Amino acid sequence: MPRIQNIDPAKVRKPSQITFGNIPVNQYNKTISQEQNNYSTDDFVRIYRDMVIIREFEVMLNKIKTTNEYFGIKYNHPGPAHLSIGQEASAVGMAYNLSIEDYIFGSHRSHGEILAKGLSAIHQLDDTALMNIMKNFFSGSALKVVENGHQGSVKELGIKFLLYGTLAEIFARENGFNKGLGGSMHAFFTPFGVYPNNAIVGGSGDISVGAALYKKVNRKQGIVVCNIGDASMGCGPVWEGISFATMDQFRTLWKGEYKGGLPILFNFMNNQYGMGGQTCGETMGYDILARIGAGVNPEMMHAERIDGYNPLAVIDAFRRKKKILEDRKGPVLLDTLTYRISGHSPSDASSYRSKEEVEAWERADSILTFRDQLIEAKVATPEQLDSITANTIAEIKQTLTLTIDEKVSPLLNLVKSPETISAMMFSNQSADRMEEGKCEVLIPMDENPRVKQIKTKERFHRGKDGKAVSKLKQYQLRDGIFEAIMDRFYKDPTLVAYGEENRDWGGAFAVYKGLTEALPYNRLFNSPISEGAIVGTAVGYGMCGGRALVEIMYSDFLGRCGDEVFNQLPKWQAMSGNVIKMPVVVRVSVGSKYGAQHSQDWSALVGHIPGLKVVFPATPYDAKGLMNAALQGTDPVIFFESQRIYDIGEMFHEGGVPEGYYEIPIGEPDIKREGNDLTILSIGSTLYTAVKAADILKEKYYLTAEIIDARSLSPFNYELVIESVKKTGKIILTSDASTRGSFLKEMAQTITELAFDYLDAPPVVVGSRNWIVPAYELENYFFPQPDWLLDAIHERIIPLKGHRVTSNATPNEQIRRNKYGV
Amino acid sequence: MANPVIMPRQGQSVESCIISSWFKNEGDEIQKGDILFSHETDKAAFECESEFAGILLKRLYQEGDEVPVLKIVAIIGTPGESIDQFSDESVDSTHEGIVSVESKEVEDFTAITGLTVARLEGEKIRITPRARNRAKELGISFEGIQGSGPEGRIIEQDIILAGKSDSFATPPASSVGEEFEIRKLSNMRKIIAAKMKESLQNSAQLTHHTSADARRLLELRKKAKESFEKGASENITINDMVCFAVIRALKKHPMVNCHLLGDTISIFHKVHLGLAVDTDRGLMVPTVKNADDLSIQRLAAQLKAVADNCKKGNINPELLASEAATFSVSNLGSYGVELFTPVINLPQVAILGVNTIINRPTDLGNGVFGFVPFIGLSLTYDHRAIDGAPASAFLREIRLEIENLDFTI
Repeated sequence: MPRIQNIDPAKVRKPSQITFGNIPVNQYNKTISQEQNNYSTDDFVRIYRDMVIIREFEVMLNKIKTTNEYFGIKYNHPGPAHLSIGQEASAVGMAYNLSIEDYIFGSHRSHGEILAKGLSAIHQLDDTALMNIMKNFFSGSALKVVENGHQGSVKELGIKFLLYGTLAEIFARENGFNKGLGGSMHAFFTPFGVYPNNAIVGGSGDISVGAALYKKVNRKQGIVVCNIGDASMGCGPVWEGISFATMDQFRTLWKGEYKGGLPILFNFMNNQYGMGGQTCGETMGYDILARIGAGVNPEMMHAERIDGYNPLAVIDAFRRKKKILEDRKGPVLLDTLTYRISGHSPSDASSYRSKEEVEAWERADSILTFRDQLIEAKVATPEQLDSITANTIAEIKQTLTLTIDEKVSPLLNLVKSPETISAMMFSNQSADRMEEGKCEVLIPMDENPRVKQIKTKERFHRGKDGKAVSKLKQYQLRDGIFEAIMDRFYKDPTLVAYGEENRDWGGAFAVYKGLTEALPYNRLFNSPISEGAIVGTAVGYGMCGGRALVEIMYSDFLGRCGDEVFNQLPKWQAMSGNVIKMPVVVRVSVGSKYGAQHSQDWSALVGHIPGLKVVFPATPYDAKGLMNAALQGTDPVIFFESQRIYDIGEMFHEGGVPEGYYEIPIGEPDIKREGNDLTILSIGSTLYTAVKAADILKEKYYLTAEIIDARSLSPFNYELVIESVKKTGKIILTSDASTRGSFLKEMAQTITELAFDYLDAPPVVVGSRNWIVPAYELENYFFPQPDWLLDAIHERIIPLKGHRVTSNATPNEQIRRNKYGV
Repeated sequence: MANPVIMPRQGQSVESCIISSWFKNEGDEIQKGDILFSHETDKAAFECESEFAGILLKRLYQEGDEVPVLKIVAIIGTPGESIDQFSDESVDSTHEGIVSVESKEVEDFTAITGLTVARLEGEKIRITPRARNRAKELGISFEGIQGSGPEGRIIEQDIILAGKSDSFATPPASSVGEEFEIRKLSNMRKIIAAKMKESLQNSAQLTHHTSADARRLLELRKKAKESFEKGASENITINDMVCFAVIRALKKHPMVNCHLLGDTISIFHKVHLGLAVDTDRGLMVPTVKNADDLSIQRLAAQLKAVADNCKKGNINPELLASEAATFSVSNLGSYGVELFTPVINLPQVAILGVNTIINRPTDLGNGVFGFVPFIGLSLTYDHRAIDGAPASAFLREIRLEIENLDFTI
């Protein structure tokens, strides 16, 4: 809601109508002879060769999958192989005009695109650059294999390298492009501009937009092509990605060289089926996919349907669309019509389509048609083209032989090095900035009104006179988060922050108050209400080399970005074989007072997912230190905050929150109060519930409780907790999350295993009820109260003399609640 | 009539605001809609417009002051008008307080406590791992203890309490009139009983007593202790030294290092030394094999290891067989025993009892008498295998070894 753009009722209420322009469909109609001015003979032949290489590569995979044999070479590949036989012209045409700086993203069916873009890159690279790429990739391990006995040019070596790296990846070999950890559906090779393919349908729909954002914000050369299938048009993240990419603000509010559309081309590889569902005619309603562009923005996304069975038609379209993107008039939507002759996967019986249909498309096969055209136009002789096929088969045979040889191409050795994959889950680096450069800011930091305001605040909850400081005059938790973020914006030129209400409003919880004054739109902006795209674009932004800080407002909205948080953000570092980093921090706020869909602590959901770091600070000191650590690291961090305590002052760290920079290491819990008789381990704002319970234990029952604030969920160092339990023998755990399946249960189980011999009672978990969160007036019956802790201690750990319980913490009640699932 | 300007409430959770700046001074003429002052919460900044026209008669707060919401901030009226009625008034009466949930009466549940839950006979004993470990450490049997934890579970504090009261072994008499408790013998007790009886019934045991000047022993012990405190690996005890002396004596008197088996006698080339150890479960005599190969340090280490293993219950049973040792030592010195007759572990032919150290008057030479510490030694031997004279010679050998003991610490 920028104040400078007024919405005039007189204007928007005026009657009018929307008119649409034309969307071209299959308009390309040139023959080879007509195109001979634009292509050399070599170009035509190379287009043919590239299609043949892709076709033969997949024919080989198909034979291996269905017959375990290719020209007598036997192998069993148990993993997936989603083939795109029939779609070669679309892949080669797409890649033909793309430069090395242009990135492509793909789907589960992207072998052809990887090879096409790789072949295009090899053609463009000079020999030295190509050799350097091959030599530097994983210390040249893949190069060594193909170099052995190679006679011929560097480019020919490059092709062998491409085929071998891709196949080794598909067959899970250590020499694969991603050490075999990505596999068929995720293979990629960034030095050739091939970015992750994605096994989740439409997964690239928002990630690729983040890559385009990276290019725009960091003024990088090149465009981004998002290759996804026609059926992904039914996926929310694709729509969210399109919404994000077409935001008005790129043209209205972004200034100077940042002004203009995102350089992204949504290329729908429209093979007309989503697995077995016929998109046009059965599962979608667009008739012609390109129609979608008309509804998105006034430019109709420059949408067009092109004939993906004609490589020249695809090349022509990409040349024109690339120009639009370079002129900052994007984004663009292309509906590249093609057909998959092979099944969805080798187990596909094609029961959803007729034999006649497949045969008709086989007759129209792009490779055969193009071959006839080349011969007819006398660009090449049949013998010449036959020899290309023969050479290709020989190359693929050699590649297959090398790839399946255990000695040449071993799998990762998890017997010898059992922790190899562990070592790839996180990059664990410490980086002030992701790239050198000047940080673009609007005013010096000390002139910022928020910074000035914070300077007047008391950084401890009691003043020098020992008296409690009023809320408004004390340094609050939200100030701690702000200071860390502000500091990073002046350190890392690549840092961007976005989400809903981030600009102008200052964030729904006033954490970002003051940021708008400091930063231009290209570093801080409001996103559409698209949590999927908010996180998904951050994934793309991070994997390209930038640092992103995004916010999804409420924890309850995690479901809206489930795939991005669970499947994308945590996985790409390890799935890339540690080629890419993921410096992305996602701020997630746990609500209160707002009922069932705005008050849930879902930290356990992300705590469960391998590849995420999860923190939940509860004090201003920890909030600032953990945000600093999160923004200094190179790993994805889910940063939980609690709306209950945004205004809390620092009550534990003597001397208050330091003004300078410091980090709290992620994964280290902290003793907030020492004690001998019982340990209380809290996550999030229940730290203060624990403090109240501990006060009562001391005053009424003469027991001293040791309070440990978990601060992080994952990673988590149990040593401190175990030491405490060795001392006290008793532990109670508490958080605001619903008890069943909460992260406390994970912790309680681990503590039981690690400290069994020292336990004088079972670890007891006190979380919220397994209900909907009721209205604020009833919250005390839902969220853990100090009394609940005392009752649980009394009933399950150590009877408290004279204690009268107010809640039912008996084992029988526990059985009853579980029995009824409440 | 004068009108009060109140601090607006900016949202449900806001309790007060700070006045950032005043835009009007006292005495200024105010129009409706004029901005009077700006104020901020911890989340946002706002501007307060006047709802009244008139003269700003009074500003009740200054810039930077924190003002509770709904309090009067300023008064607008006509010049000269009295403002006394607003002097110390708030409009709190209109305050819509949030219903305090904390103060609500909460239904009482009946406390279900573990304090009075008694364990029924035959019921499984519920004890926490920590309490079990503590009981073992203190050598306390927890079977009779009434737990104070939830549902009668025995927790650590119960064990500690039992250890202090010394009443743990004898639970309170459950039925009136019983003067004793009947317990079945443990297997261990049965085995000890049978062995002891067999030994005394089937051999010809008698005991010779002597004592050795212990000054050398005590001096060495002092050095060993100092050295251990400085970091030496072994804390060599008096018992270790006596055993060391015994081993050396045995090497000179191989006829004592024997097993008597019916009509044959096995004379051992090596010394396998048995050591009587008192444990929770009863007497055990573990063996240190090839003890004559060991330095005093290694002997000390091994004696300590086998004794500890017996106490922990994880000793190799083969080392407990009386056939495993060729000679045994039983030391009751620490209990202050001055003289006793140890019982031989058949088929061994002798055992040395080690007694406490007593200061005895001794001729120090030249008619001077003084008190010298002596350690008592009691050798029981099987007269079927050894006669009195060689047994006495062996005992003297031990004494001489003790008095002339020397080793490097």
